[in-house]
Amino acid sequence: MLNELVYDFAIWLDDSAWSTLLHESYYMYNWVESIHVLTLIVCLGMLFMIDLRMLGYALPNIPASNIAQRLNAPMLVGFTVMFITGILLFYAVPVRSSQSVWFRLKMALLVACAVNAYLFHKRMNESVASWDNNAKAPKRIRMGAALSLGFWSLVVICGRFIAYDWFDCEYTDPNSFSQFLSGCIAGQTRY
Amino acid sequence: MSNPASASTVTYSKTITVGVLLALLMIFSFTDLRHDTWLKLYEFFLWLETTPFGVIGKTWGAAFAIVEAFHLLAMALLGGAVIVSDARLLGWLFVDVPARDILDRTHKVFVIGLIVVLSTGVFMACGVAGKIYWLPVFWYKMLALATGIFFVFFIRRPLLRHPLDEIHPLVLRLIAVSSMLLWLTVAATGRWIGFAGS
Repeated sequence: MLNELVYDFAIWLDDSAWSTLLHESYYMYNWVESIHVLTLIVCLGMLFMIDLRMLGYALPNIPASNIAQRLNAPMLVGFTVMFITGILLFYAVPVRSSQSVWFRLKMALLVACAVNAYLFHKRMNESVASWDNNAKAPKRIRMGAALSLGFWSLVVICGRFIAYDWFDCEYTDPNSFSQFLSGCIAGQTRY
Repeated sequence: MSNPASASTVTYSKTITVGVLLALLMIFSFTDLRHDTWLKLYEFFLWLETTPFGVIGKTWGAAFAIVEAFHLLAMALLGGAVIVSDARLLGWLFVDVPARDILDRTHKVFVIGLIVVLSTGVFMACGVAGKIYWLPVFWYKMLALATGIFFVFFIRRPLLRHPLDEIHPLVLRLIAVSSMLLWLTVAATGRWIGFAGS
């Protein structure tokens, strides 16, 4: 039921002229994808510096709260542009993207990243005064930083895998496990 | 105390070295030497595809894709280090923290990022060597990467080893902007290899 709703929504998007124009435009599509990757570098670059600071590997002599506060703004700018270009990339290829195992996994991981970021900041703000100048953050905060690094690395790996057609509905056996995960619709004619 | 005469000699010798290298680059770029070298490299690129890295990269798509993802993650690490250190030089971030601290600490992160970028990049290049050889954008990326590495280790780092308050603020800003633009070019041309090759 949910898969059919997603499929119908993807078909509706795919039928719009702008989706086709974006997909068929060599330069526009590639520019959007390039900006997506470049802003990912900005966003993850800032995030990695924050997480590595918490783990004691980068800039250990600078107060942790200072690093987190100062790098938050450029990280959010990068994230916002990355998010907008990500929506545009989905809009350009809605049917295949919505039925990609890797895209679905990536979305689930992004939710995990958001929950982890919320808990990380909440825990940090509660206790940072007592360990701000320590080279390493307390264990709970370090755990959050390590999870952040792990989740975001998996997001990038899944994002990279979307480009490959290993589990596409078009090329896999009907009733296979990958078709179940991808949410393929029996008898669908558009991919 | 250092001898002013010997200090200026050292400064001039570096300037002369950079000048000679630029002159050699111009001769290389605007003569047949560039084309001849490019032709000679074809055999080498074909050989790259026969190496273990080349065979794995060509035959095992998942391995190639995972290495590609780590290449991107390392690029993010490198980019983070570049942005933080250059933003400090420009006075955009951490102005209350000594610039020397930021520059030295981020350089270590930069070097780790660069090592992973280079090693994963070599693996990926081996898998598609026969294809990228014909792509102008691959050579632009190599040029940008070589310039970036040269810039960091032979211009930026040696210059920033001097007391920062003795360097003209405009020079510091130029160094920071050049660094950001260089690494942006490396990342952008790198992404474009994927489009040009498809």
